[in-house]
Amino acid sequence: MEQTAPTLAELQTLIEMTGTINMEVFYWWCTGLMVIIHAGFLAYEMGASRLKNALASGVKNILAFAFIVPTFFFFGWWIYLAMYNGFTPDFEAAVAGLPWSTSMGPNLTDNATGIFWGAFVLFAATTASIFSGAVIERIRMSSFLILAIVLGSGVWILGASWGWHPDGWLTKEWGFHDFGAAGCVHMIAGFFALGVTINLGARIGRFAPDGTPILIKGHSMPMTIIGLMLIIVGFFGFLGGCIIYAGGAQWTTIFGTPVTLSAVSFNTLMAFSGGIIGAYFITRQPFWMMSGGLAGIVSAAPGLDIYYPPLAFLLGITGGVVAPLADKIITDKFKIDDAVGAFAVHGVSGMIGLIALGIFSGFPNVVAGAPDISFSGQLMSAGVMALLGFVPGFGLSYVMAKVGFLRVPPKAEIAGLDLVEVPLEAYPESVPATETPIRTSTVTA
Amino acid sequence: MNASPITSWEGAEAYFTFADNPTAMAIILGLSVVVTVGAVIATIIHENETYIDYR
Repeated sequence: MEQTAPTLAELQTLIEMTGTINMEVFYWWCTGLMVIIHAGFLAYEMGASRLKNALASGVKNILAFAFIVPTFFFFGWWIYLAMYNGFTPDFEAAVAGLPWSTSMGPNLTDNATGIFWGAFVLFAATTASIFSGAVIERIRMSSFLILAIVLGSGVWILGASWGWHPDGWLTKEWGFHDFGAAGCVHMIAGFFALGVTINLGARIGRFAPDGTPILIKGHSMPMTIIGLMLIIVGFFGFLGGCIIYAGGAQWTTIFGTPVTLSAVSFNTLMAFSGGIIGAYFITRQPFWMMSGGLAGIVSAAPGLDIYYPPLAFLLGITGGVVAPLADKIITDKFKIDDAVGAFAVHGVSGMIGLIALGIFSGFPNVVAGAPDISFSGQLMSAGVMALLGFVPGFGLSYVMAKVGFLRVPPKAEIAGLDLVEVPLEAYPESVPATETPIRTSTVTA
Repeated sequence: MNASPITSWEGAEAYFTFADNPTAMAIILGLSVVVTVGAVIATIIHENETYIDYR
C-alpha cells in the first residue's frame, strides 16, 4: 500500500490540534493540583479546630467548595467576562459566560472555555477556603455558605475582572500588574475575612475579661502543618493557572506580557524559602513557618514573572516576618479572633506584594494604552482590592449579625459543633479532648 | 427520551444533552438553581432544629 506524504494543510491542522490539546492538558493538571490546595485547607482547618469542632470545620470547608462550583457556573464566569470596565457590564462580551451558552458545556469547537472555567472555579474555591479558616468554631454553617458564595462566585471574580483580565480597567488605567493574583485572590479574601471576623466576634474564651488574648489550641498541630504544606503543593497548580498557554508561541501572563515557567519556578521557590526563614526568625515554631512560606509566596506573587530571584527571596522573608507580627497586632490590639491568621497571611501579604512590585517596577505593559507598571498604580490598585474585599464582607456580615443569623448560640459553641450538628465523631475511640487554655498570644517571640 | 442535539459526529459543535432545546435547558438549569438555593435553606432549617436544645 502506497503511503502519501501529508500535505501542508494536514501538517498545519496537526500542529494546531496538538497545541490545543497540550493547552487543555496543561490546565487540566493545574486544576487537579489546585484541588490539593483544598485538601490542604481541609486538613489545616480541622487540625486548627478543637476536637469538639473538628468535623464541623471539615464539613464547612467541603461545603464551601461544593457550593462555589455550581454558583460560579450560574453567574461567576459571566461576571468575569462582563465587568472588566468597572460596574458597567459588557453584555456582548459576556454572552459566552451565560449558563445557557453553547460554550458552557461540551462543544467540539471550543476546547478553551471549560478548562479555563475549571481553573477559575478552583481560584474561586481558594478564596472561600481562605475565608473559611478565619471563622471556624462559631459561625453558622448557613451564614458561612452565603458569605462564601458571595465571596467566591461574586466579589473576587469582580476583582479579577478589574485587575486580572486582559482588558481590566485597573491595568488599562493604572498599569496594574499582578501575575500571581495577590490582589484579586489573596487580598480580597483576606480583607473579606477581616470584615466578617469583626462582626462575628471572638470565640468564647479567646480573650480574658481584661482583653488578654488566650491561645485556643487546635486539636492536631501536625495535621495543620501538613495541610499547609499541601496548600503549597497546590500552589504550583495555582501559579501554573496564572499563565496563558498560547500554543506555538511564548507563554504570557494574563496581562499579555511574556513569561516563562522557568521565571516562575525561580521566584516561587525562592519566595517560599524566604517566607519560611522569615517566620522562623520571628516565631521559632512550625505553624507560622509554613504560614510564613505561604505569606512569602503571596508577598512576591505579583512579580513572580519578573523578579530577580534573590529579590523574591527577600520579599518572601518580608512576608514571613510581617505576617505573624500583623496577626499579633490584630489579635492583641484590636481583639479580633482570626483563628488561622488568614487576614495576615493573605490580606497583608497580598498588599505587601502589590506595593512591592510598585517599588521595583518600571516594566512596560502590552495592553493598548496602558501605562507602565508604577508605584502609584500598584498602590491605588491595592486600595481598590482592599475595599472590594472588606466592604462586602463587613456589610453583609453586619446585617447578618444584626438579625441574629451570623453566629451559633453560645451554648452550642460551648458544647461543640460536632455534637450539635454532625452525626459522627472524629475520634470515637480516643479520650475526648479537654480545654487547657494558656495565657499567651498566638506568636511566641 | 432523545436528549441528543446531533445525529452525526461529523461537523458537530455544541453536543451536550438538550443543546438544541432551550426549554429543556431552562428547566434543568432552573432545577439546579432551585436545588442549590434549597440546600442552603435546608441547612438553615437543620441548624434551627439542632439549636433548639442549646438556646
